[in-house]
Amino acid sequence: MSSSTFFGLDIATRGLYSAQRGLTTVNHNVDNINTPGYSRQVLEQRAARPILMANGTGMLGTGSEIVGVRRIRDEYLDVKFRSEVQHLGEWEVKQTLLEELQVMYNEPSDSGFNTVLNEFYNTLQQLSTDPSSPANRAALKEKAVMLTKYFNSVAVHFEYLQNDINEIIYAKVQEINSLADQIAKLNQAIYSYEITGNVANDLRDQRGHIVDKLARLINIEAYEVSYGKLPNGRDDMRFVITVSGKPLVDHNNVSHLAVTQREEKLNEEDIPNLYEIHWADGNKLVVRSGELKGYLDVRDGNDGLNGSPDFRGIPYYQRKMNEFVRTFALTFNEGLIHNSDGTLEKVYGHVDGYRLYSEGDTEPAGIRFFTMFDEYGNPMSSDVFALAGGPDPDNPDYDAMYRQITAKNFSISLEILENPTNNICISDRAGEVGNIEILRSLIDMRHNPYMFNEGSPEDYIKTIISCMGVDGQLAMHYLENQTVITQQIDNRRESVSGVSVNEEMGNLVRYQHAYKAAAKMIQTYSEILDILVNRLGV
Amino acid sequence: MRITNNMLIDNMLSNLSRNLNRVSKYQNQLSTGKKISLPSDDPIIASRALKLRTDVAEIQQFRRNVNDAVSWMEITETTLAQIGDVMQRVRELTVDAANGTKTPDDLAKIKAEIEQLKTQMTHLANTTYSGRYIFSGFKTDKPLMDEDGNFLIDISNSEQIFYEIGIGDDIDINVTGNDLFHGGSSAGTAGTKSRMIETFDKLIAALESGDGEAIGDMLSDIDTEIENILRVRSAVGARMNRLELTANRLDDDNINFTKLMSKNEDVDIAEAIMHLMNEMNVYNASLSVGAKVIQPTLVDFLT
Repeated sequence: MSSSTFFGLDIATRGLYSAQRGLTTVNHNVDNINTPGYSRQVLEQRAARPILMANGTGMLGTGSEIVGVRRIRDEYLDVKFRSEVQHLGEWEVKQTLLEELQVMYNEPSDSGFNTVLNEFYNTLQQLSTDPSSPANRAALKEKAVMLTKYFNSVAVHFEYLQNDINEIIYAKVQEINSLADQIAKLNQAIYSYEITGNVANDLRDQRGHIVDKLARLINIEAYEVSYGKLPNGRDDMRFVITVSGKPLVDHNNVSHLAVTQREEKLNEEDIPNLYEIHWADGNKLVVRSGELKGYLDVRDGNDGLNGSPDFRGIPYYQRKMNEFVRTFALTFNEGLIHNSDGTLEKVYGHVDGYRLYSEGDTEPAGIRFFTMFDEYGNPMSSDVFALAGGPDPDNPDYDAMYRQITAKNFSISLEILENPTNNICISDRAGEVGNIEILRSLIDMRHNPYMFNEGSPEDYIKTIISCMGVDGQLAMHYLENQTVITQQIDNRRESVSGVSVNEEMGNLVRYQHAYKAAAKMIQTYSEILDILVNRLGV
Repeated sequence: MRITNNMLIDNMLSNLSRNLNRVSKYQNQLSTGKKISLPSDDPIIASRALKLRTDVAEIQQFRRNVNDAVSWMEITETTLAQIGDVMQRVRELTVDAANGTKTPDDLAKIKAEIEQLKTQMTHLANTTYSGRYIFSGFKTDKPLMDEDGNFLIDISNSEQIFYEIGIGDDIDINVTGNDLFHGGSSAGTAGTKSRMIETFDKLIAALESGDGEAIGDMLSDIDTEIENILRVRSAVGARMNRLELTANRLDDDNINFTKLMSKNEDVDIAEAIMHLMNEMNVYNASLSVGAKVIQPTLVDFLT
């Protein structure tokens, strides 16, 4: 029987080191309780390689050794989290923006579109009971101005919002690029560290946290691929992030995203020079989910028209309002209305009326009530407006004429603005101040259910508001669902990887005892050696 | 399942946030008095609210139109009564003059009064309401006839003024000069004499001639005019009745639709307060329980 003199001390020292390492791990965990993305670390300890005793009395234990520090993380939960948080980001953005859109319309309220249209028609009725009164005519002009200004204001607000979203998209793209850069750097650091065979616990946590942030912004898939075998026999694992199939981050290479301003508008209702996102190397980018998709859908969505996103975003509502003012102006001015089989029917319109003081006139004044602002911001007169209808004044191209009007430039005509008393034409014969035949036709238009596909003017607006309301409610529900789902996954991640103070305190006590015991062993061996050295051989 | 302190805190915070959201919703309802503030809160309520507001606004406007129509027709009725009285007086005088016992002097006096009544009639034909001639059809700025009873304007039944008193429901509120003064004909041209005044002229000529029989013959013409006036009066009366019925119906509709509108979008205060108190209780409970649960850990107990 032989063993080294200091064998026992050796074992005890190992025990001391193990306990010390354990305490350090506990310390590290407790310090990082509130670090976002942190996964708890546990000591991996095992009994050291025993020595085979030559005389057949078994194996001699040699104490404990630390194999490593393991990071407790369920990679599957990370994958699940990233696939759900992108939808959370998308619907969160959409819900917020749809709420803003609804606030701009301000319905139902006492100052929204419904009220403005009601008051306009009420004033028309008021005019019918005293058609020659200058007060009533002035009141009609004011209500008409209110009507047109409502549309101008909503259209301008939509444009502002579209511009704001555009700027946000630019910022988000920069954020994505920046996060991708950070991930690439971490990839390099982790790779160099792990090539020695260790696991870079804290660096991986950091990387995971950044990837989570990125997953909220855009639809990514993140995984480690093996590029073959390293000389030491282990797999050469590299971390790749792809967006819609194309790699954003490939180990330490980054393909950035870039923005360029569109030369051609995607939708004619857009403001000019909106940003188009693509890969920096020129390839087309497909954004499927994430906050970026939310912003893009609201900014560009025209219900799938002309290749725009299949979402009812700002261009859709601009288009609807443009359609409304165009048809409303066409019918009110020219008296052209769709009837039940879809053809255009001619009834009395404002253009067929005679002025108030029209004694001796042989033909109607031909004044259009609604026109538009010209490029200087002044209301156009009926004649200038009609120039767009082509060279033949008897057979104008109404489509081309009224396409000029948008919700933003919708206005009453110059004639009505300058002289409402004389130029509001509601009589169908010259010189009759009490004649209201044209006016009756104009009032009847309110209830004509064939004016629009959706029905009368009020039905049209109701359809738009309902659409927006339902879309908003849908977004809210999706958001609630996604929040719950994401939270539940996050909970599970926390359950697996989170630091529990109680657990760490337990471990603290455990390692403390182990340390004390190891220290006691050292003390005992020291006494033994003392006897051996000092007492035996003097 | 392994639970960590952070999980407890995170869950407590998210539940508190959800509770507070509900509290906020009811508080909003109470302070605005409306069930919804955005269409997305309840698109159906929003859509119905828009429709009902339009309905109420329309009903109120129709009521105003009815009021205006009633004012106009009241003036018309009063004037028609006066026209009827004038015609009656003419008939009395004619009967008196036709009995053959009158001296030329008496006949001259009667003729003078008939001439005055003729002038009064032409003035009545040019009655105005709020500055507009009520018998002139669409040409409300021009008088109907001159002092001699000649039409100053073309007037016909196509110049009836219609007021809207309901959806697809309108009523003509005026009497056209040709109907009343031209014996129920459908038109009268400018420059021609109205038949009623022509009757006056014929009567005056008969009085001048002193021929009792000729004067007596005028009675049938005068009776024809009186019958015409009565016909017009009863038509106006019928229309006034219709207006009154419509006014009552509109008043009822106003109340009903306003009630519907309120039921649709206004919040029941008592119910909302109860919900709010309920949610506040839940919120308070979750606050106090949360505070108790998240604090103690093993650290407090290890010495």
